[in-house]
Amino acid sequence: MNKELEHQFVTELESNQNIVHKVCSLYTNNRDAHNDLFQEITIQLWKAYPKFRGEAKFSTWMYRVALNTAITLYRKSKRRIKTQDYESVVFKIKAQEYDDTEERQLQLMYDAVKQLGDIDKALVFLYLEDKNYTEIADTLGISEVNARVKMNRIKNKLRTILNP
Amino acid sequence: MMDELELLKRDWQQQEASLPKLSYDEIYKMIRKKSSSIVKWIFLISIMEFGFWLMITVFASSDEFQPLENSIWVNILNGSLEIIPFVVIAYFSYRFYQNYKRISATDSARKLMKNILDTRKTVMRYVWFNIGLFAIIMLIVLLEVLILDPPQEFTQKIATADSAIMAWFLLAITFIFVIAILGGLLWLFYRLLYGILLKSLNTNYKELKKLEV
Repeated sequence: MNKELEHQFVTELESNQNIVHKVCSLYTNNRDAHNDLFQEITIQLWKAYPKFRGEAKFSTWMYRVALNTAITLYRKSKRRIKTQDYESVVFKIKAQEYDDTEERQLQLMYDAVKQLGDIDKALVFLYLEDKNYTEIADTLGISEVNARVKMNRIKNKLRTILNP
Repeated sequence: MMDELELLKRDWQQQEASLPKLSYDEIYKMIRKKSSSIVKWIFLISIMEFGFWLMITVFASSDEFQPLENSIWVNILNGSLEIIPFVVIAYFSYRFYQNYKRISATDSARKLMKNILDTRKTVMRYVWFNIGLFAIIMLIVLLEVLILDPPQEFTQKIATADSAIMAWFLLAITFIFVIAILGGLLWLFYRLLYGILLKSLNTNYKELKKLEV
């Protein structure tokens, strides 16, 4: 691969790395796993990069590859740590920004999302990233109607987890 | 609930500051690293399977097998049993390569999963073909020996047995039993392999597919 392409890719990824970090924090439970998944996503992005011809925004294109890696391509380590044990890398809510109840509520919500299955997490992630249903459906390869139906089911599921 | 998800969304979009930040050099080093993706594992395992069966095929056909009788149909049968495995391995390798090339991380999640599973399916079909062929060859060899040149011991046993049908029946049962044991072991091996490699992929794919029904 030529140097210029490498430089171009690393620069773009460096400025858009937040997307990848967010996917990693959703799908992993500790810092090692987070870094491991980040690396695999980076490799997959780089492998696919020569075919990326700017037909979409770099960031849009990244969502797809990052989620595909997290859901399908990445081989999860067997030494996975249970949700309860983790020191969350990202989901630390700053105490001064919210009052106690709101902070607690948020933490509960994050924990509930982490308990969802791989596909559900992907939908929630795209929803939180403010993607519309057309994009969500397109990324997952399902119809828009079904994406909406699925999202409603996830909302119900979260409700059950939060209020057992 | 809606309010809570909206609350989460607000917080989600404010979290940028708390995210880790990698430097240019750190990312640059990462693109030199080797992938350890499931596709790579599937590729390696499949290549090993093709290699294994190719070895068996070559080994089996280089074995100087002298037909017991020069009847035309025995020759044709033996000849085609030697050629067919190579034609089939060529076909399946080609299909496997085609499927493998189709796997792309830039497809939709569903299509990506389908392509990976299809690639595996090609290899599985090839393996089942071999097992089937193996069973047929065993049967043919057995019949050729028994019909064209039955060993003295066997003819005597049949002759002295209380009932010749019973002896044939026992032989058939033994044959089926051996095939079943071998098939069972292979099945177990693949269950394990699939269990380790493809369990979550299968679950996720089914979940997406279920939506579309």
